[in-house]
Amino acid sequence: MKLTDVLETTKREPHCGLCKIDFLGTGVCAAGKKHGFVAYWPEGRMELARALAENEVEPSEALIDIVNSCNMCGICDRQCYFITQRRPTKAQQALKDYVQTLKPNMIKHTPEDEIVKDLRSIVGKDWATNDPIIIASYLRSIIKQKSSGQYYVVMPNTTEEIVEIIKLANKHKIPYLPRGNGTFFGVVLQTLLAEPSSIEQGIVIDLWRMKDIDVDPESITATIGPGVTSFELQKAAKTHKLRANVAEAESCVCANAQNLGIITTWSNTYGWGTDNFIDAEFIDSTGAIQHLSDKDIPNPYASEQGLMSLSLIPSVIITKLTLKLHRIIEDEEPVFIPFTNLPDALDLAYNLARRNIGISLAVLSRKYLTEFISPTHEIAEDFNYIAEKYLKLNYVVDVICDKYGKKIIEEMAEITFGQTMLKSLILGSSKLASMKDSSILKMIAEEEDPLKAVFAGPMLKHFEKGLAASPRELVKDFDEDLRDFFEKLYSKPELTDSIWLHSFRILPCRMERKHMWMYRGGYMPGDKKTILKVVDALEKPAQQYHIDGAFGFLSYLERGKLAHLEYDYYYDHTDPDARKRVNKAIVESWRQQFAIPGVTPLEFICSKGLHRKEHIIYPLPAGLSEEELGHFEELIETLFGGEDTW
Amino acid sequence: MVKYLSTEWAEQAKKKILTELDKAKDLKNMNASLLNVVQNVPPDNKTVYFYFKFVDGNLEELITGSDESIKQKNAEFTITGDYTTFVKISDGTTSSAMALLKGRVKLAGNKMKALTITKPIDTFNACIKKIETEY
Repeated sequence: MKLTDVLETTKREPHCGLCKIDFLGTGVCAAGKKHGFVAYWPEGRMELARALAENEVEPSEALIDIVNSCNMCGICDRQCYFITQRRPTKAQQALKDYVQTLKPNMIKHTPEDEIVKDLRSIVGKDWATNDPIIIASYLRSIIKQKSSGQYYVVMPNTTEEIVEIIKLANKHKIPYLPRGNGTFFGVVLQTLLAEPSSIEQGIVIDLWRMKDIDVDPESITATIGPGVTSFELQKAAKTHKLRANVAEAESCVCANAQNLGIITTWSNTYGWGTDNFIDAEFIDSTGAIQHLSDKDIPNPYASEQGLMSLSLIPSVIITKLTLKLHRIIEDEEPVFIPFTNLPDALDLAYNLARRNIGISLAVLSRKYLTEFISPTHEIAEDFNYIAEKYLKLNYVVDVICDKYGKKIIEEMAEITFGQTMLKSLILGSSKLASMKDSSILKMIAEEEDPLKAVFAGPMLKHFEKGLAASPRELVKDFDEDLRDFFEKLYSKPELTDSIWLHSFRILPCRMERKHMWMYRGGYMPGDKKTILKVVDALEKPAQQYHIDGAFGFLSYLERGKLAHLEYDYYYDHTDPDARKRVNKAIVESWRQQFAIPGVTPLEFICSKGLHRKEHIIYPLPAGLSEEELGHFEELIETLFGGEDTW
Repeated sequence: MVKYLSTEWAEQAKKKILTELDKAKDLKNMNASLLNVVQNVPPDNKTVYFYFKFVDGNLEELITGSDESIKQKNAEFTITGDYTTFVKISDGTTSSAMALLKGRVKLAGNKMKALTITKPIDTFNACIKKIETEY
């Protein structure tokens, strides 16, 4: 197999990094676990296969070691197939075959320079490198594609080692940038924000090894290192019947807390930003170790606002974070309230938020619901089509609540469904997709209120029966060699347990299985009028530039006083024209969002997660005037050049 | 070839701005004074100041030096950063706005006003980039 044979797959590698965590109970790549560098993980092998195929890097001695370290056990195929239906072993096979074609003189030796020597003296010889092949595995997830800078990658294990690395970087006057699991970089580096969020040369500090987790059930807190992912923290908390408010499974908790302040469907009650944590240990740009709780440091919460406050690179490196955990209530249950229209969904969700009903509360779009619960993108597309055309199901108010909350919701909403239906939809999604344009769906569509007919009326039984939901049914279109595995996997209760899925968040990466996406949205006052204006400000530019835009989720914060919206732009990041269009849509949507009073676009929250929200969001910004928007356009041009350079 | 941030360099910068930039079109009749604090300038890691002031788009003053008295000019904006970063801004590898966004320089002053002079400052930097400079 040639590298070019798998290029279509490797080019689309989204760098989600889920292959680095044991989210399916299969274990993880043994080589990755042993060597640490991204190059040894399936994600990195895919990137290397791409970079070699596109002649962006030459083979070095490290390549041979990387290729030989894979025993083709197939764990990565199961993991990646679950999310994206890709098979990383194909890329690995192509790498193996490629290496066979190399003559000894084609394999470059990378001499150790002074900086790498010093880095190795800090972290040990195995954990620092200047080998171009290992560095190439970080392309598109912290280093810009086709970057010509001189790079180093180092994997420290302690705070003190990071201090020494920063001092070394300062001594040599070279930049450094920390990397958690690279998920944020993987998305942002495909857009016009690549330059301000990447490192142009210098030291990539890969924090993956720093995985200490210490749960204190007495104080209901956890203290973690910067390499701990959301999934790993949630797993540790669960053993104490506790829950962490965390982002997607693969994201590193410290990076997410620092970057966006951890905003989730649980933020309704658990909060966001500084609500989430108690203390942080961090290292500043001089290499000094500080704590948020230190009395003599400058106000750690002070933050800039407005257009000039955009900052995508963290100013400090968090090395330890003490987070609040939350008790799991015994009678938690999911309740879903389906809606055809967004304003109606917002009305109910706002009413629940201001009455403090629901532990987790969000408005989800049809796109998220269908994409997350469907095992393949094709099934998701059909499910999406059916939900829109026949069921008139466009939004869901998605609640996890206690039994008392459930009673109130059932009083407030005419149509609801719960865990049983959700399980049927997950396990029956394949069957449902096959029912596209069937007579039963046509009958449902003819009902006066299709949602009521399906979820609360006489069609409910027929609909559920029609789904014939079972793990066996679900996996029948999967690759044959993986069917047994996935049948067993989907038989596990957690894979269809809504509360588990909301807590462990292993599904959201499915949104990037076909195309790349760019997350958009922001923070705003919780009134419906403002929210709808923001949705419009994001939707119209997407339409204008022919980008597939979709509402993602909306969480109310502080009993409905504020809201956080995620709205996503989906596009083919391997298509230069699509990239240009998405960049234009981003800029235009910023313009439109900034004109709305009270709105802070999501990108302008970046790197401010350690600051109090009172310093980020308040005073609520007045909408910018036409003149100010003109200056904003000049700033964009100064930063990113004109449309032609995007 | 003149040495970056030397008196000769400042003289050439002044000359270029006055002869090559239009105060309305290029400099937007800018009213602003800006102090660049360039740290760790080789060979002895000194701090060098680079100050300029525009009134209605006219360059009133442009000086460089390590004399602390330049700090007393009460510039509206102060940009502080390492010599290596200022070299990149000066030779056009990056813009001052991008250096700010990447946290390579710190800006003190009114941010909303800074927004209004981003473009003319960029034009100013592009103009002085053309000086044959020894770094």
